[in-house]
Amino acid sequence: MTEAKFPQARIVTERLLNPETVERLLNQIITVEGIRRIILNGPRLPSTIPYGPARNVTNPHSMRGMIKVGDQEMELAVHVGTILLELESRDVIPSLKAACDTVFTEFTYRVQEGRYMKTEPTLSDYAKYGPDADKSIIGMSDPKSKTGPVILQGIK
Amino acid sequence: MAYKPQYGPGSSTIAANRRKYMDPASKLEKVRDVTDEDLVLILGHRAPGSAYKTAHPPLAEQQEPACPIRKLVTPTDGAKAGDRIRYIQFADSMYNAPCQPYLRSYLEAYKYRGIDPGTLSGRQILECRERDLEKYSKDLVNTVLFDPALTAVRGCTVHGHSLRLAEDGMMFDMLQRCVLDKKSGIVKYVKDQVGVPLDREVKVGKPMDEKWLKAHSGIFHSLVGVAFRDDAEYVEYVQRVHSLRTKYGFMPKE
Repeated sequence: MTEAKFPQARIVTERLLNPETVERLLNQIITVEGIRRIILNGPRLPSTIPYGPARNVTNPHSMRGMIKVGDQEMELAVHVGTILLELESRDVIPSLKAACDTVFTEFTYRVQEGRYMKTEPTLSDYAKYGPDADKSIIGMSDPKSKTGPVILQGIK
Repeated sequence: MAYKPQYGPGSSTIAANRRKYMDPASKLEKVRDVTDEDLVLILGHRAPGSAYKTAHPPLAEQQEPACPIRKLVTPTDGAKAGDRIRYIQFADSMYNAPCQPYLRSYLEAYKYRGIDPGTLSGRQILECRERDLEKYSKDLVNTVLFDPALTAVRGCTVHGHSLRLAEDGMMFDMLQRCVLDKKSGIVKYVKDQVGVPLDREVKVGKPMDEKWLKAHSGIFHSLVGVAFRDDAEYVEYVQRVHSLRTKYGFMPKE
């Protein structure tokens, strides 16, 4: 869940991103002051095939790599196509664009302002996750997931 | 005057391509050579070289009932031998892939016999007797209807048609059945169509360049190709069909 008072932005690229590009971008983004939360969105890349005739067979995929952002290592579970950001203020957007400019040199991208994260839990959220679910991540990620959010040390 | 089928309306290159692909009289240009064995590996229905499994005895060995239709229709090779029904399924990217699901079903219905095409928004499945399937699949993979990057053989987990392409130009595939070799620039299948890893890689050639794709595209796309609205004849035709369908219950008179 996010607080409605914080502005949000998203970075949409012309192509789905390789893990190396995501790593470069995030390492640029974390140097920008005033970003509260980042969600990496895109189609999921499961480690085993979830259904079909080859169910449970391992699914090696070059887009599901380990990336290192700042000091933190994390495994990508999606083929990143959209990056949602919760900002402290709208003033951050120009520096966000500057960070993107250094990374996206071979294809285009857009930084859009809008509301992309949930601000209120829905009835389905209540039914799915129960009354004691971690409200801070409802609407961003699955609160039942064993892997929690990655905390990046900012520059504050 | 004898009726001459037109196959489709439109004055754009897309419309011309669609007509060309659908017309059974026009021979599709062959652009790659995937061997029979390679294709059998990608399909994953039988081991290369093994016998075809059968669903019933060959027609010559079984008593056929006296039926005028059976006398009229010559069975295909697969039906004659009593092969099982197997399938091939394609996912086509909307970023100028040469063929598209609806178009596939149309052209297959015009060109091939004994088939059951199934059309969905982003994928198209072709079911027929195994022997016939291999013959038809070879046609579909080796000719202009296929592009290694934007068309993929996917038995399941087909999502990719409407997604943005990856940085290397490949259509998204959750199972990454085919990969682009950066050194040689050739696309290789490393899994069969349902995602089971292959014993050896199957090369399907280099992805076609942008110019070729634009010239052979089977889909309108306002950003990367020809916009649908630019083809006035096509728009007029589609609007006419839409209008007549809507008025159908009221006995339309033109």
